Amino acid sequence: MNIIEISAVLLGVMMVLLMGGVWIAITLALVGLLGLTVFSGTPAGKSLFTAFWGANASWELAALPMFIWMGEILFRTKLSEQMFEGLAPWLNRVPGRLMHTTILGCGIFGSVSGSSAATCATIAKVALPELIKRGYDEKIALGSLATAGTLGILIPPSITMVVYAVAAEASIIRIFLAGFIPGFILMLLFSGYIAWWSIRNKDKVPPPEPPTTLMEKIRKSGKLLPCAALIVFIVVVLVKGWATATECAAYGVLGSLAIAWQSRMLTWKNFSESLMSATRVSCMIMFILAGAKYLSLTMAFTGIPRELAEWVASLQLAPFALIGVLAVVYILLGTALDGISMIVLTSAVVLPMILKAGFDKVWFGIFIVLLVEIAEVTPPVGFNLFVLQNMTGKDSNTIARAAIPFFACLVICIGIITVFPQTVMWFPDFVMGVSK
Amino acid sequence: MRRLLDRLYNAAGYLAAFFVFAVFAVMIATSVMRELSIRTGGAEDLVAWLCAASAFFAMAHSFKHGDFVRMELLISKAAPGPRRGFEILALAIGTAFSGYLAFWAARMTYESYEFNVMSDGLLVLPIWIPQLSFVLGSALFFVAVLDEFIAVLGGSRPAYVLAVEERHARGDFSEDI
Repeated sequence: MNIIEISAVLLGVMMVLLMGGVWIAITLALVGLLGLTVFSGTPAGKSLFTAFWGANASWELAALPMFIWMGEILFRTKLSEQMFEGLAPWLNRVPGRLMHTTILGCGIFGSVSGSSAATCATIAKVALPELIKRGYDEKIALGSLATAGTLGILIPPSITMVVYAVAAEASIIRIFLAGFIPGFILMLLFSGYIAWWSIRNKDKVPPPEPPTTLMEKIRKSGKLLPCAALIVFIVVVLVKGWATATECAAYGVLGSLAIAWQSRMLTWKNFSESLMSATRVSCMIMFILAGAKYLSLTMAFTGIPRELAEWVASLQLAPFALIGVLAVVYILLGTALDGISMIVLTSAVVLPMILKAGFDKVWFGIFIVLLVEIAEVTPPVGFNLFVLQNMTGKDSNTIARAAIPFFACLVICIGIITVFPQTVMWFPDFVMGVSK
Repeated sequence: MRRLLDRLYNAAGYLAAFFVFAVFAVMIATSVMRELSIRTGGAEDLVAWLCAASAFFAMAHSFKHGDFVRMELLISKAAPGPRRGFEILALAIGTAFSGYLAFWAARMTYESYEFNVMSDGLLVLPIWIPQLSFVLGSALFFVAVLDEFIAVLGGSRPAYVLAVEERHARGDFSEDI
């Protein structure tokens, strides 16, 4: 069999297993197993053991349960209520008024949480009823919450980024730092759209709240202090390099526990539930990573990624064309797969191709995270759509349609980072020095 | 029997959670000790093993709890009859794979025990000791998948589907990324 036939067989088996509802981690490992036993002389069982043990017994990966736990703790505090109260008084005179709480809230919560669905659910839980009660346009609120929730994985810490960094063997801290500026750009785009829409639809924006004094505003925003302190703490630790990404994650947990304690939400129930949830989620992700590691062993033996990279290079595509094609492929994949699976499934094949075409691993990480964000809001399988569907009872297609303008903002952001890669690379290079 | 198994999965889940907590504690402790110039060699290995142990011991529990992701696009649209067929097929494949994984985990760890292989980091220990988490965790995972397979064959709806439905009905999305 030549390499094209082998690839076709492996790809076919993978598609059948995935469609049949076999768990993604098991699918990855089975395709790896098939590849190794049929197409190479390597002892498959022995490699399975090595791949699973090596993938899970990793010091780098230990950041994963920590960041997940941190989000789980904060999810169970009153942070979102405090955030709404603290942000609202400042937004009275901005076009779009309180509607911006969705963007700012998700942006801020995103900088302490690494998950898109959790960010969306946390902010929507408070912001949505408050906005609807005051007569804000429901469509815009739903669209912005669905999409801004995805800031959770772009603004560090980010579970998706940790997974990518481990799969691509890139520096976690560098990728975290690279997420800041695209995150700000995206927030500006979202808020810009809300402001533009509000100016054009003045009649659909409810009247401002009664004005408050500056002192009152500051007093109300005081509630945001613990969260702000935690963000500043994480950013400073990352930037100064005081702790490794993994230790930073552990301190994030400590800070979150402190916030929970301070708001009197640190009950035994919350503590144990958050810990159990974090354990299960990280187990799920580590199982996928282990399966992917095994599959990439097979890939290395068969030489498919190398051949594919050379084939793509031989096409002499312009870099933009390659990026365009990949963007379309990922958007299509994203309609059916979740972000983590999408990344681990493709990294073994796509990374050699990307590196050969002269792109940077860190840049590609941000690119792929933005595409995962798109995947979260595209039907039929977009997780943030499910979250909001469940919270509002609205059909997920309605929510997806409401998210279209914000979806466009994401595409624009991808365009910006592709045309100006410095927007991604400048900050990590500035903080950590240019990597070799 | 049913209750005994469920208790076993949960107990392994609690043990895994304890290991996650231990990762947290060890990391904080090492960073403090480093400031106090106390040597912390081997902490990285310890954290890696704790991380692995948390993942392996949680497998059975997470599986039953519906945390393992899969593509639900097709099966969620299928009518109850064909859907059951899909579930049985997926569980059969899952049982075969988890059995294979558990077998190789046990076999390779036994080999490192027999040849007395030591870990190659700063923390020198017979490697079979940390690897024991792989053996026990994957064996329990195999039991959990097999148990589910038998239950679904017997006509029940899968526990992992029910658990997710129940969680989402409560509005809890903290376990979705």
